Amino acid sequence: MPRSLTRPAARTAVASRTAAALTALAAVSLAAACSGPPKGGPAPGSAAFQLSAGTPAAAGELDSFTWALYAEPPTLDYVSAFDYPQNTIVSNVCESLMRWTPQLTMAPGLAEKATNPDPNTWVYDLRAGVKFHDGGVMTADDVVFSLGRQADPEGGSAWNSDFANVEAITKTGPLQVTVKLKQPDAQFPQYMATAAGVVASKAGVEKAGKDYGTSGSLDCTGPFKLGTWNKGQSIELQRFDGYWGTRAKSAKAVFTFLTDPSARTNAMLSGEADGGYLIPTESYDRLSRSGAGTLYFGEGLSTVNVNVTSMKGALGDVRVRRALSMALDRRGFVKAGLAGAGTATNSLTTRAVWAAAPEDVRKAAFDALPSPEQDIEQAKALIKEAGATGKTVTIATSAIGQDVSLLATAVQAAGSRIGLDVRLKTIAPNAFTALFTDPQAREGLDMFPETYYDSITDPMDLLSNFQTGAFQNYAGYSDAAYDELATKARAEYDPARRMAAAAQLQKKAADEVLWIPVAEWPTAVFLNKRITGAPTTISYLYSPWAADVGAAAR
Amino acid sequence: MSFLRFALRRLAEMAATLFGASFVIFGAMYLAPGNPASFLLAGRSASPEALRAINAQYHLDEPFAVQYRRWLGQVVHGDFGRSITYRTDVSRLLADRLPSTLLLISMALVLVLAAGLLLGWIGAVRGGAADSTILVTTTFAIGTPSFVAAVLLQGLFAVKLHWFPTGGTGEGLGQMLWHLTLPAVALALYLIGMLARVTRAAMLEVLGQEHVTVARSRGVAEHLVVRRHVFRNSLGTVLTTGGLIVSTLLVTTVLVESAFSVGGIGQLLELSTTTKDFPTVQAISLIMVALFMTVNLCVDLLHPLVDPRVALGPRKQAA
Repeated sequence: MPRSLTRPAARTAVASRTAAALTALAAVSLAAACSGPPKGGPAPGSAAFQLSAGTPAAAGELDSFTWALYAEPPTLDYVSAFDYPQNTIVSNVCESLMRWTPQLTMAPGLAEKATNPDPNTWVYDLRAGVKFHDGGVMTADDVVFSLGRQADPEGGSAWNSDFANVEAITKTGPLQVTVKLKQPDAQFPQYMATAAGVVASKAGVEKAGKDYGTSGSLDCTGPFKLGTWNKGQSIELQRFDGYWGTRAKSAKAVFTFLTDPSARTNAMLSGEADGGYLIPTESYDRLSRSGAGTLYFGEGLSTVNVNVTSMKGALGDVRVRRALSMALDRRGFVKAGLAGAGTATNSLTTRAVWAAAPEDVRKAAFDALPSPEQDIEQAKALIKEAGATGKTVTIATSAIGQDVSLLATAVQAAGSRIGLDVRLKTIAPNAFTALFTDPQAREGLDMFPETYYDSITDPMDLLSNFQTGAFQNYAGYSDAAYDELATKARAEYDPARRMAAAAQLQKKAADEVLWIPVAEWPTAVFLNKRITGAPTTISYLYSPWAADVGAAAR
Repeated sequence: MSFLRFALRRLAEMAATLFGASFVIFGAMYLAPGNPASFLLAGRSASPEALRAINAQYHLDEPFAVQYRRWLGQVVHGDFGRSITYRTDVSRLLADRLPSTLLLISMALVLVLAAGLLLGWIGAVRGGAADSTILVTTTFAIGTPSFVAAVLLQGLFAVKLHWFPTGGTGEGLGQMLWHLTLPAVALALYLIGMLARVTRAAMLEVLGQEHVTVARSRGVAEHLVVRRHVFRNSLGTVLTTGGLIVSTLLVTTVLVESAFSVGGIGQLLELSTTTKDFPTVQAISLIMVALFMTVNLCVDLLHPLVDPRVALGPRKQAA
């Protein structure tokens, strides 16, 4: 299942704070998201940033390093690990059946191999002799128990919908677990590389009871175990000596919660934090010029889009949507909204999610798309042809982050140049996240800016959104041919065939302008001079990245 | 009216107001859009039975009146329920975070009282250049919102000079005091300016009164005149601003804690509101209202003691 990720409390604006001061109950929040540039380097014209495949390997060991997080995870329970702060930590403590590589491909994790004897069956053969932090040894029972918590609809798991096609999870040997599906599902095995596939100790989870994830040990198998959790301040991870894989280079990793973006940047500049992901765009320049360390950009899976939420008004005419998309100054937005670190695109999906596609399929998927270049004349003509001149459309804006407010303004500017009256409706930062979940909050809106992030490297993660009745299909798009092809693609295990179908779907979504794609947004990571080794890609969400962080060469 | 009766009546009034506030607080969250269950699912789609299960677990499926009664009953017994996002008891969340906030507010309060009274006194008594300097600086302090002060202080004293950390709370009292100094100054700055002005004005008013002239003409030493006749007489005015000061501190701590990443209840309130974590927001709001009312009660009870001219009871003169 695709989704957008909403992220509280990263960037706030002065205006919203004053409001909070006045009401005392109001809070400043933030939604936004992260990353995602094209494979094979930045597109022409975006010389401002360069993608790095990785950071230099560590030259030595460290006693400890400190990492800045924009928020404290509410809980570290893997069933709730569906946001940046928790995943950035949990990925080092709890491991999944499969794992992400820094190149965003899938590799064996706690399962030595995954086999697929028939389309409805996935067999996971487990690694032998893997130890849990509290001393137990991993068995098939732990896997059945751990996945069972995700599949249980009553468990409140954020990953529950990824188990929608799961019929049964059973132990078929001391070190073998078999998952039976109701129907073939190409996304399920990919999700086993995310937090959805985490294996925690059955005994440990049961012992902690309702406190699991909020205090005590997580009792998982990762290279770090949970140390002191100073509520409201920091979480400390300690190197786990019984780890089955490569030993972590640092004895400790300390995560501090710095909710204010400028405080976070200041902490990295002053050396109080050695590094961090999710750098505020407005700090890119300060950090890269500071001389305190290096700001790297890496591949992510995020695109900045305008989500069309209603086709009842002027946007009901595809020519109006097309004209608006055509008139949009994407390069201008990248420059102002993403501090130049992004790529203008007319693709809903990042290039990176097509990694498994054969070159010709990928090329076809992108060549079929309209140009991301601005074309005011043609857009004007389209609006005239549609008889939409002077019509009103409303887009949400918020002081939540530059990506939201500047994009809304860019859409308004585009509208005014082609004779469309684009109105901005300002949403308080703490109410912005409600747009994703509450139809009432979307009332009176035709569209809102949304940064979309895939959890797996598969274009179907996003393209499933346009199926009839899909969660984020706010505008109620429904097309029988699209539904049929999407269902087929999601059931297709062969990457080449699945991606070929996805390319057709992407073309259809682009022709219909179901959302307006704007830019790919890369991941950013800052490392000061003391440390190195962290991955630059978004793989940090689902692989034990902190184990690679060590001392930089002197 | 005896002092005891007055105090009891004020207490009863406070309980009634708190009850009213609890209703408003409980109801307010329901009026805003968004459902905590959907935040719990991180905005992902969920099967109807999964949503039903979560709503039932947190009693979100019950009618408003039933939820309110249940909540009030628990609160009276000191149980604030279980946080939806943090999946832990709210009382535990508060116990983890309240100390930093209370320490921060106390530090700010000490700064406000010390600096505000001193500056006001000097301004009123000395006059001349000292007074103008104080007027200018307090104008600046009053005009600087705490979050702006936070950014300025952080930039200068943490990033440039490295005298203080940029944020966080630290462990142990010494560390905590060091970490909370800049936030406390940011929090106090505006109120120092305000209190200095109030003190100065009150003292100037008393200075012009007859009994001061009489005292002076009797040859009472000037420092005694100022201390006994002027300062004591203006304390009533200063005290009434006390309630305002504490309530401002409670509200502004939300902003300053966020700016300095102090993991206190202000920051917790901010995050919990975003995620519609009903039980946490309700508990913090109620505690803040209760703290605010307690301070006002104390001011009301202290006022007659400081200034005997103040009659007891809000409505009628005591018989």
